[in-house]
Amino acid sequence: MTDVSPEQLSAEEKKRLKYYSASQWTLIWWRFRRHKAAMVAVMILGLMALSGIFAEFVAPYGTTTRDTSYLDGAPQIPKFCDQNGCSIQPFIHGVSTKRDPITLRAISVPDPEKRVYVTFFAKGEPVKVLGLIATDRHLFGLSDPKAKLHLWGTDDLGRDVFSRTIYATRVSLSIGVIGVMISFVLALIIGGVAGYAGGVIDNVIQRVTEVIRVVPIIPLYMGLAAAMPKEWSTTQVYFAMTLILGLFGWPTLARRIRSQLLSIRNEDYVVAARLAGARPTRIISRHMLPSFTSFIIVDLVISFPYMILSETALSFVGLGLRPPTVSWGVLLQQAQSVRVIEQTPWLFIPAVFVVVAVLAFTVIGDGLRDAADPYSDSH
Amino acid sequence: MLRFTLERLVGMVITMALVSVMVFIIMEIPPGDYADRYAFRKYSGTGVNVTQADIEAIRADLGLDKPMVLRYLDWIGGIVLRGDFGQAFAFETSVVKVIGDKGFLTLGILFATLLVTYMISIPVGIFAAVKRASAMDYGLTIFSYMGLALPNFLLALLMLYFASRWFGADIGGLFSEAYADAPWSLAKVWDLVKHLWLPAFVLAWSAVAYQIQTMRATMSDELNKLSVTAARARGVPEMKLLVKYPARLAINPVVSTIGFDVNRIFSELPIVAVVLGLTELGELLLKAYLDLDMYVAGAILLLLTFIIVFMNFVSDLLLAWLDPRIKLGA
Amino acid sequence: MLKVDNLTISFRTDEGLITPVQDVSFEVKAGRTLGIVGESGSGKSVSTKALMRLLPGNALVSPDARMAYVNKAGETVNVESLKPNSRALRQLRGGEIGMIFQEPMASFSPVYTIGNQMIEAIRLHRKASKKEAREIAIDMLDRVGISNASARVDQYPHELSGGMRQRAMIALALSAGPALLIADEPTTALDVTIQAQVLELMGDLQRDLGMGMIFITHDLGVIAQVADDVVVMYLGKIVERGATAEVIRNPRHPYTQGLLKAIPSLDTLHDRLSPVPGDIPSPTERPSGCPFHTRCGQMRAGQCDVVEPPEVQLGEGRAVRCWLDAEVSQSAKLEIPA
Repeated sequence: MTDVSPEQLSAEEKKRLKYYSASQWTLIWWRFRRHKAAMVAVMILGLMALSGIFAEFVAPYGTTTRDTSYLDGAPQIPKFCDQNGCSIQPFIHGVSTKRDPITLRAISVPDPEKRVYVTFFAKGEPVKVLGLIATDRHLFGLSDPKAKLHLWGTDDLGRDVFSRTIYATRVSLSIGVIGVMISFVLALIIGGVAGYAGGVIDNVIQRVTEVIRVVPIIPLYMGLAAAMPKEWSTTQVYFAMTLILGLFGWPTLARRIRSQLLSIRNEDYVVAARLAGARPTRIISRHMLPSFTSFIIVDLVISFPYMILSETALSFVGLGLRPPTVSWGVLLQQAQSVRVIEQTPWLFIPAVFVVVAVLAFTVIGDGLRDAADPYSDSH
Repeated sequence: MLRFTLERLVGMVITMALVSVMVFIIMEIPPGDYADRYAFRKYSGTGVNVTQADIEAIRADLGLDKPMVLRYLDWIGGIVLRGDFGQAFAFETSVVKVIGDKGFLTLGILFATLLVTYMISIPVGIFAAVKRASAMDYGLTIFSYMGLALPNFLLALLMLYFASRWFGADIGGLFSEAYADAPWSLAKVWDLVKHLWLPAFVLAWSAVAYQIQTMRATMSDELNKLSVTAARARGVPEMKLLVKYPARLAINPVVSTIGFDVNRIFSELPIVAVVLGLTELGELLLKAYLDLDMYVAGAILLLLTFIIVFMNFVSDLLLAWLDPRIKLGA
Repeated sequence: MLKVDNLTISFRTDEGLITPVQDVSFEVKAGRTLGIVGESGSGKSVSTKALMRLLPGNALVSPDARMAYVNKAGETVNVESLKPNSRALRQLRGGEIGMIFQEPMASFSPVYTIGNQMIEAIRLHRKASKKEAREIAIDMLDRVGISNASARVDQYPHELSGGMRQRAMIALALSAGPALLIADEPTTALDVTIQAQVLELMGDLQRDLGMGMIFITHDLGVIAQVADDVVVMYLGKIVERGATAEVIRNPRHPYTQGLLKAIPSLDTLHDRLSPVPGDIPSPTERPSGCPFHTRCGQMRAGQCDVVEPPEVQLGEGRAVRCWLDAEVSQSAKLEIPA
């Protein structure tokens, strides 16, 4: 080919040149971007993560704040119009307490004459965002600080479901992140040693991996959870739980890394590099790792659902996190019976979060897998 | 074939030996000695003043004062040689008696679930691969995403809700009230079958979704193989062709993950059992741990793992029988 | 026995419609061998797949394409109008037209014995009991030169060597008794010595059984050994055709000339081989005018890259599609648009 300066190229040719000279990661990103469902999933997860990180600001109330005037209350949907006309600013109707004429119990009755407006950056409980920034402003609230807005209703103690779900998002997602990290580091070390060393070491490691792999995780966890001292603080339980999930989550990934390393070890290009006198560190970092890092990332993404679902299931039956810590599973503990679905279905909103988060991770994993496959592109 | 079977058998024994060590260590983790609790339970309210010496006596009586290695050997020796899993302290009877029927019920649920899983996922996966990119295929993709994302304890709750809403029926449990404590009879078995489909379906839920995906993917690969085109070029009728050539190979990954499915089913069983009110191993396990009844807990964990390891063994044999290339490589 | 006319095949893809075969016509006479030569992507395999109705679901065959096949009973079958999954089509596949492929390993299913797959094929097309079918299978394996056939018949494909497998594949295709054999690069994946043996075997069998044959290859040297007639394909078009001896002695199209120069021979051992320069263009970017002009050393600007040359008859069954051919250029000059 003759030398052509970039200025001489047409726009079409420039595009091609850019394509052919793009790095592996740029190509993966370009292909991933075209995967619409995965991009939507990234945005949803991003939103969840952000609201989890800034839970103190996003949630109007704390996890234990009770609204005794609104027990087992239905979600309040802000509206723009009522029988007295319309307003630009959304509002809800205030509540007055009355006595039930028959049982004489105090009950809350919405007062259609009383409007309370919804405002952004409303004054509310003083909190420390990220544990650093003290503020009494929240993302939204009511113009009257004494009245409370329960977007997604309340539970039997009058605690705000929306606020609790936001705080739970932080806990549940962080368990996923830390658990996956622990598994990943273990898998990398164990799988890496087995795959690179081979021979007897590999055989021994394979046996141990097999043992961890065949024991059913939840019955096993049930045993370990029952063994946790009752006097442990919720933080200790949280870390113990993440640690256990991480400690038993590595075998799949470790096997993957091992088999990749073993199969690549004898590839022509690795042998060529070895014959050319490259040092082992260079062979691993330059020749072996890049050929399957993208697959490892896919595996990492799709192991999040496993962590999240395990945490939810265990907390759901009361073996995982304990109140007052809130996680999606802890919140769903309140919704164990058919009666709850019938009477207070909004207590199931955390389940929607579980489903959406797991779906999002799965879709992103699929999108990444397609994007990372060099043969998926027909150029 | 014989050599292959023996090799796998030896592998299975080694794995089980390692598992038993791990299970024993886990049994040792719970803090607090069982002897303390036993003494408390036995003498509380009787006015007897329990001394440290009494507790020591109980401890020696139960063999809890021996070193760990000896206790392990006692335990595993009893299991292997006499099928004796030790004493269930809290129930004051043998572990075998406590587990008893419940073991068979668990196996019943397991096989019902596996049956439902493969009877749905294999044909549907084949169909989805053949009709790739059809509305049906997209529908199945969405379904399988739901299968992965909706935890099955929530599915169980939803099913209970809709059953009570539409049929006014309580479909939880494994037996009707009339049969719950009745001795085994044909009528009782039939009653069990009628109750079994719900837990089987709920437990199969995610496995079905997962296996449909596997089946669809491998079937799509197999459909593009030259051997399929070659068979078609020999005039093999289409239905026979699909079953004999691509499907026969496409079920290999499904067969090879039977153990994995069993593992998943056992993991989900205790949770689903809580929701559906099933009185089987899962719940017993929970209670055993809470009572620090380590022999019951260990026995259950060991039995569950043994079933998984055994199913892995079965799946290896099935695979070797399905694919003649494996025998040569072994 | 087989006459193909106006065969055009397109595929719907993500990049739009691509047409790997354009307006192809050829004929196979009973007992004779037609060679189809071309580089990969020239559409040679796709055309024969159409003959067996083996194209994938996204393929479109032009409505004016005609594929008339005269079967063993002497009836004419219009292949293009056979219903999918019909009895007649299944009878045609295997029973009338047999096919062997480039990859002998991949064309056997690995999980059944050679005998299982042969017996299946035999019983689909011949009236035979299981036992008789087995006898036929062993006889056929013996015939293709597989020693100890009665033991081999119960072996799995992976237990045979590459050359053996290809022989078994030939036996499999022939066991159902086809009248026409399509061989899609049957020797490409084999070692040179085995290649020669297999070619000889195929020639012998064809003579003994009186079959017609379509032999697809990218190697004109192989064609010289096996084919009576040859068509040369480039980017889905037939650029030259004729009796094999005639085409090799006197190639008219620059592409055919290039293919001939690329054959190594002992006489020219010390000379450099001169393969056809350049790469075959991508199917999504078909060149305008004569499709070969991008690689042709004798390209005439303003003519070759603008208008596609028509096929010009040079005699009985001999034709070429090139502007350089003097007769062609002169007769067509008037038709060039200004």
